[in-house]
Amino acid sequence: MSTVPTIAPPAETLEQHFRRLAETWKRAVAHLSSTTVRNNHPAYNEIIGLGTAVLPLLLQDMEANNTHWFRALRELTGADPVPPSAAGDVPEMVSAWLKWAKEHGHQW
Amino acid sequence: MVDPLPAIFPRLAQRNYRVTSPVTGNYNCVAWALGINSKWWWPIKGDKDAVWPEGVSTEETVDAFQEAFRTLGFVECADEIEEQGHEKIAVFANGWGVPSHVCRQLAGGNWTSKIGELEDIEHNLRDLEGAEYGLVVLVMKRPLPANQHA
Repeated sequence: MSTVPTIAPPAETLEQHFRRLAETWKRAVAHLSSTTVRNNHPAYNEIIGLGTAVLPLLLQDMEANNTHWFRALRELTGADPVPPSAAGDVPEMVSAWLKWAKEHGHQW
Repeated sequence: MVDPLPAIFPRLAQRNYRVTSPVTGNYNCVAWALGINSKWWWPIKGDKDAVWPEGVSTEETVDAFQEAFRTLGFVECADEIEEQGHEKIAVFANGWGVPSHVCRQLAGGNWTSKIGELEDIEHNLRDLEGAEYGLVVLVMKRPLPANQHA
């Protein structure tokens, strides 16, 4: 009896993996205000689990869409460049992170 | 395109609401209930992802929300019926008593809500009750500034 070879689907690239998880997260939390729930959604944690290789994608999405990747960036870099005066001010927090990333040689 | 809000809040399906702003993640429901459209307000310990009144508990409890709104001049009230000379806000909480949403009454008795990072909408208060936001558990009021009396 002959066997039919199965063709494995191509593995996801890091970017595809990130975009799939980010889309899942955004769909799940877009209508929610709770920072706790938003920052601890399983897809968000899974993105952090992708490691520092995902940093350029986080920075790119943050720059384009002001996406709240603040906790992920803290976890992955160990940095916290947002001044207390910018707490809760999303455009200011995004600016602080992008400035920090440029100063530390990150490219996106 | 399918309107996503009735899929999340089934009581909005009768089209008895209207969208009053573009989508933005720069502010959320608590900020908007307080008339602010430049900050994300939520109790969170230690991080700067959201702002919360100084000295108020950062626990995610109705008591902490009540305490926060008291610092801004609100007092508890019995119901959501419109009162001349006052603005009212309503706090929603889920089945575990965790606050999920805050909205503000408009002149005429309707309510305005910022839906997470989506749009502002004008709606009937109870139309956001359900699986996602739970129930209205607290209504508070404060006097309107003299130049805003209806």
